Amino acid sequence: MDEFTITEKKSGDLIILYLNGFLDAHTSSVLEKKFEELLSKKLYKVVVNFSGLSYISSAGLGVFMAYIETLRSNSGDIKLSNMSDKIYNIFDMLGFPILFNITKDESEAIVKFNETV
Amino acid sequence: MSGKDKILIKSSTGNLHLVRDFVEKKAAEMNIAQSVINQIIISVDEACTNVIKHTHKYNDHNEIEIEIEFKDNQFIVTLKYEGEAFDPTKKETPDMKEYFKKFKIGGLGIPIMKKSMDKIEFKHTKPNNNSLKLIKVI
Repeated sequence: MDEFTITEKKSGDLIILYLNGFLDAHTSSVLEKKFEELLSKKLYKVVVNFSGLSYISSAGLGVFMAYIETLRSNSGDIKLSNMSDKIYNIFDMLGFPILFNITKDESEAIVKFNETV
Repeated sequence: MSGKDKILIKSSTGNLHLVRDFVEKKAAEMNIAQSVINQIIISVDEACTNVIKHTHKYNDHNEIEIEIEFKDNQFIVTLKYEGEAFDPTKKETPDMKEYFKKFKIGGLGIPIMKKSMDKIEFKHTKPNNNSLKLIKVI
C-alpha cells in the first residue's frame, strides 16, 4: 500500500483532491507539491476530501495553513470534507474550524463554493 | 503488557509510521480506548518529528529509542536520543486566535502534545543524552 497518494477531479474551476493513506512529516511534501501545481495552473478553488485518509499530524495541518491565505486572496478557498471523527478531532483540538470551512460531505463543500461566487 | 518494551529507529521521518504502529499495538494490548490511543499516537509522532527535524536535522545516522511502560495506571512513552537539549515543556503555547489571524505556519507539534498528554517531562544529561517522557493517565 502506498503511504500517501492524491487523486483529483476537476469540475469547472473547482478542483477536488482525494487524500489516501497517512499525512505526516514524511508525506506532507506530496500535498505541498500538489498545491504548488494548482497555484501554477491558477486553480484557487479546492475541495479536499478526507474519506481515504487514515491519519494526520501537525505537518499535514501545516500544509493547509501554508496555502489558505494565497488561495483566499485569489478569490478561492480550501474547503475540507468527509473527515472521520479521528481526523476531525486533530483539526478541532487547536481550533482549525475557526479558519477552515469543514463540511460533512463533498457535495456540501461544492455548494458552498457556488454560493460564494 | 508487563515491564518495558522498546524499539529503536533511525532518525528519519520515513520511520514515523513504524513508531505509530508500535505505540498503537502496545496501547491496544492494554485495552485503552481508541480515542485515547489516538491522542498518545499523535503526541509520540510529534515528539519524534521534532527530534528528527530540530535536534538531528534530518541526519539519519542518529537514532531514537522509544520505550513504553505501563505502571500505576500511567501509559508512559519515553524517547531517548542524543543531541542538544531542547525542553518542549518550556516552549510557550501560541495564541491560536492570533495564529489563525496571521496565517502562521508550524509550531503546532508541542501544543498538540501538551493538549493530548497529562504530563511531559524532559531531562538532559551531560554530555548529550536526552530523555523525553510523555505520560497519559489511564
